[in-house]
Formats: sequence, C-alpha cells, structure tokens
Amino acid sequence: MYSSETMTPQTLLVELHSNFTTEGSTTTQFGLLPTEHQEHETIELTEGINDWSEIGFYIFTAEKSGNGVQWVGDHIRPRFRIPPRWHWPVGVSLSTEFGYARAAFSNPTWSWQIMPIVDQNIGRWYWSVNGTMVWDVHVVPPPADSTPQQKQFYYTNVAPRGVTFGPAATLTYAPSKLFNFGIEYYSYYGQWGNFVPLHYQQQQVFPVVNLFVSPKWEINFGAGWGATAGTDHLIVKCVIGRYFDWSHHRPGSSESSQ
Amino acid sequence: MNRRTFLTQCSATFAGAAFAPLLGQPAETEPDVKLEIAPLALEIAPRKTVHTVAYNGRVPGPLIRWPEGKPIVIEVMNRTEIPEIVHWHGLWIPSEVDGSAEEGSPMIPPGARLRYSFTPRPAGFRWYHTHIAAGHDLKRATYSGEFGCLYIEPRNEPCAYDQEIFLALHDWNAYMGASGDSSMEVAYEYSTINDRMLGFGDPVRVREGERVLFRILNASASMIHWLALAGHEMTVVAMDGNPVPTPTTVKAIRLGPAERIDAIVAMNQPGAWILGETREQFRKMGMGVAVEYANQQSKARWVEPPEALWDYRLFATTQNESREPDEVIPLRFESKFHGQGAFDSWTINGKSYPDADTISLRAGKRYRLQMTNHSTDDHPIHLHRHTFEVKKLAGSALSGLSKDVVVIPANATTDVDFTANNPGATLFHCHNQTHMDFGFMTLFRYS
Repeated sequence: MYSSETMTPQTLLVELHSNFTTEGSTTTQFGLLPTEHQEHETIELTEGINDWSEIGFYIFTAEKSGNGVQWVGDHIRPRFRIPPRWHWPVGVSLSTEFGYARAAFSNPTWSWQIMPIVDQNIGRWYWSVNGTMVWDVHVVPPPADSTPQQKQFYYTNVAPRGVTFGPAATLTYAPSKLFNFGIEYYSYYGQWGNFVPLHYQQQQVFPVVNLFVSPKWEINFGAGWGATAGTDHLIVKCVIGRYFDWSHHRPGSSESSQ
Repeated sequence: MNRRTFLTQCSATFAGAAFAPLLGQPAETEPDVKLEIAPLALEIAPRKTVHTVAYNGRVPGPLIRWPEGKPIVIEVMNRTEIPEIVHWHGLWIPSEVDGSAEEGSPMIPPGARLRYSFTPRPAGFRWYHTHIAAGHDLKRATYSGEFGCLYIEPRNEPCAYDQEIFLALHDWNAYMGASGDSSMEVAYEYSTINDRMLGFGDPVRVREGERVLFRILNASASMIHWLALAGHEMTVVAMDGNPVPTPTTVKAIRLGPAERIDAIVAMNQPGAWILGETREQFRKMGMGVAVEYANQQSKARWVEPPEALWDYRLFATTQNESREPDEVIPLRFESKFHGQGAFDSWTINGKSYPDADTISLRAGKRYRLQMTNHSTDDHPIHLHRHTFEVKKLAGSALSGLSKDVVVIPANATTDVDFTANNPGATLFHCHNQTHMDFGFMTLFRYS
C-alpha cells in the first residue's frame, strides 16, 4: 500500500518485503510455478527527490524448496504527488512503475503500471485507496496446442491483454505514535472494462500492524486471506524498512546547517 | 479550555480596561509611537500576494528605536475583527504591559485602542509581536505579519560598525504537514527576509571595507532557520540583544523562532552575494536577500558554505561568574499524540496550559530551570520579562550567555538560571506557535 506522501529529499528508505504463501496453487498453471510455500523477498529502495517526487527501485526474488533463491525481476517506480502547499483536502499522488519479471513467476513479463493514490488522515484514522492499472506490455502466449476456447479463457481470465485493474485500500487507527493497526485490501479484477468473473478475481484482506519503533525504522506485519478461488488462500507478509538520512543529522534536528 | 478560549475570556474580562490609558498616562497626550493593526495584502514577489495582518501597513512593522530608561508611550489601534495584544519581547517591564493575556495584560478589542506605557530596559535588540492564539487558524498570531524590530539604545554601543541593517525572517501560508515522527507539524509555502522573497526585493547595499552590523530576527511562527552570507563570514557579537562573552566568527548562524543575532560582517569580497538560508529548499521558498557592493551590480551569487553545527558554547565562556541558584525547578516537556492527522498537545510536568500549575517564586532568589525535553522536536523556549543565563546544554556546562529564548535540543536536558527580579506573573513557553497554542506554557508568579 502506498500513501500519497513522498520520501523526504536526501533520504533513502531501504525496505525488505517478505511474503510467504502458506496456502496457494499447488500445480504449475500456464507456465507459472506453484505458489504454495513460495517465499518472495523483495528489496525496495526509495529516494526522495524533492517535496513532490521520489524514485523507487525493486529487486524481486523468490525461494521455494528445491528451487533455491531465484531472481524474479526488477521494476523502477517514479512517483509524484500534489505538493502539500496546494492545500488539497486529501493527499493525491500518481505512481508509475515499469519493469520486467520472469515468465515462471509473472505473466505479463514486461509491464507498465499507473497507480493514482488518494489518502487522508483524520485524527487517529488514516485511509488510502490505490487504483492499480497495469498495461501488460508483453504477455506470454498460451501453450501452442491450446484450443480456441482455452485461448479465450487464457486471454480473458489468466493473462488479459491491454490494461488491467486492481484496486487496493487500507484503513488504520493509530492509538500512539509508535504503532497503528488496521486492514489492507488487495485485488485484481482483470481487464479494464471486461472484468473476469468473481471466481477468478483476486480478493485479499490483510489485518496489519505497523510499528514505528524509532524514527529510522518501521515494520509492517500482516496475514492475508484470499476470498476467491483465484487468490492464494493464506499469505503472511512482513516489511522491514530503514531510513538513511544523507544529511547526516538526526531526524527533525536543527543542529546542522544542511 | 484551550488557549483560544482562555484568551477570549481574557478579552471579555479586560474589555473595559482596554479603553483606559495605562499607568496614569493621559489619553490626550500624543503617544511616542502609534501602531495600527490591520489586514494587509502583501506582495512578496510579483504575482505572489499573502493576505495577512500587519502593523502600520508594512512588514515588518516600523522599527522602534528608543533610548534605554526613557519612558515611552505606544498607542495601538486594533482595526481587525478579533481581540489583539502586543508583546514587547525581551523587555523587563511589568506584567500589566508586557502584552500577554496570560500574565494579566489587557486585550485590545476590535475597533479599540490601547496605550502601552513603560520604561524600556535592558538595552539591545528586542522585538514586538502579537501574542494571541492561532489554534488551527494558521493565518493568525505569529503566522501573520504582526511583528517588528525594537531597538533599545544603550548609552554606548558595545561594538563599532559602519552600517546597521535590521532583517526579519518570516514564513508564510502555513499548512499542516507531516513530520518525522508521525505527528503533524506546520509547514510553509513561502519565506521572506523582511517583506520580499529572494530575488524580488531591493538589495542590501554595502561598500568595500565597511563593517556592517546585521541585526537579524527570526520572526517565524515555528521554523528554525540557518543563514549564511555567501563568500563572507559573520562575527556574532550579541544574542537576543545581549552581548556575548566570546564574539566568534562563523560561516553560518542559526536562529530559532524569536531568537535574534547581532553579527558583524567585514565587507571584503566585492560583488553581489546572497544572504540566505543555507538549505536550498528554504531559499527556493524565498528566504534570502541580495547583498550588493557599490558599483557591483550583477546577479547575486550563492556559494554553498561547508556544513556547520550550531553550538551555543562557541559564544559563551567556561568561567562561572554568576551566583549559584537558590533552587532548582525541574521542567519536563512531553507531547501527547492525537493522531497522524492532528497536532500533538504538549505538557510541562504532565499538564497542559491552562491546566498547568502556576509555579511560585520568591523575589530576589536565583532559580535554575532544569528543562528535560522528552520529545523528538527542538523547542525554542522563551521566558517573559526576564533574561536568563544558559548554564548547561546536553550535559556540557557553559556560562555568560544571556538570552530570553534558547533552543532546547530533542531528548536532551538544558539548564538556565535567572534571578526573580521583576515581580508579577511571568509566562514561560515554547515559542513555536502551535506548541504554545496546544499547551506548551506555564506561569511563574511572585510579588
């Protein structure tokens, strides 16, 4: 989930995203490896550019018993926001992400994502909506011996061509500065204007806890249940983030002239 | 009851007194200074106008120069729609005219006028500003243009100079922004030195060989600023209007809200230079002014100074010549979280103003305020109607540095000593407008 806020200039956030699929697919489907007991480790680097933009970079990896650690792919993600000095009542940001992922783990392989983000803090409450739209730049074709019906099913429900849509949202409550808790919702509806049947959609809800144990560290932990047949049934995730302030002074301090 | 409610009630309480002349001054006598508080559309750059409130239709308000020890009468007319009050920052004057409703000074109702009459002391660079609460209205109080420089002339100037320049830093169009620790803090759209953004005002004109004394005030409601004059060094000779024991030359100076620095610059690098915030984002917001040598008209240059770390001890002494305190008053500063979309509230020893306990003092005694900052913010702490001596900063002892505002680092302890020699209610608070509005104040009282 993304908030509309961008990274502070001269600050680098290094995050390790760990996802473990406890219950997922158990067979290879259309060339995609089974997801059950697959561990995904993603390194995300985010550098603030100015008070309205940042650039992010992902290194995706996957690990499964018997297959070892494998590089999955890389994405680059520039993101822009409405500067807070414009005094909009809600935070608004636009993220765009482009990159490659290997066909064994992702279909499409090359993709371009555009994600508008809207969020708002209301006292202790926070909500955010991410509208993820992905243009599948390169889709792996179905097996050559597929029947026309199988090809239609494939391009409709498995790897649609064109732009797909998958909104995500979160709602959290912050009892203290040190943590908040709430729910996150992730989904995949399929091709824009021609959504796949609910049975094949991905719908996941994660109860989450976000810990802000120090100004330099943040931790997100959640467990997600898939509500449809097209969703991995149980995923456990953890994100550990560390901020590096290139200005070499403690956060919020006025002691340095830089 | 929050601070705004409290001040509104004070306004009602003192409405009658506000029309009466103070301290026996006949109303028909012409005042020495007249100030008019009124709305102002201030053009800080072409096509950039801020709508604010100011004194006498200008920002900063008129410079008031007055000899130390000579009585002055200042008449203030309030042409706004809310009660106002003017605080005479840094002066040892009675509570009734100090310009703080919390101390008992009367508010000035809308459309009314009030006379402040006092004998200003001590000599040095003081200032005046509104002392109302803003709360969530980030155009009021010290977010506005209601500030001006006040110079109390000593019998003999402590240092020689060829030219004297008063500069006031300010930030405009405040809004609630994120901070580094999950809470909301105030951020700004524009910054100015005096009334113009960098690149749009008249330059400060100097001559080669001159010693120019810059008297610089940080009139921001909440921002701590760093300033440097490209290509030059600055010798700090006074802080908060009080000569420092060890004048020291530095590449850059830091000023918390309400702090003042007097710095001498030897003009020995002919050209056109920028006197500006050391941090680029603030210069882009407008905090800077061109300094132009005679016959050197060109685009003002910025040269990045090396990183500087601010240390008050550079300007102090290690020789302790003041008397030991009679009593130590521990003061613990903490914030209370109210959500990522709200301002924190603040407590001193566990209580927010106006619920905080008044601290009783005894006249003539010397007190040590042992301040422990249990927050992740640096706080510019101000004591009204007195001057204090900074004695310890984050565990290091120092002496001789007399101030009325000191920036307390986050998660550190700072000690200041003062003598209770100006009886009456005395306000003590963080000079960050948001912090004081949300509880960061307490009162000392003695007779």
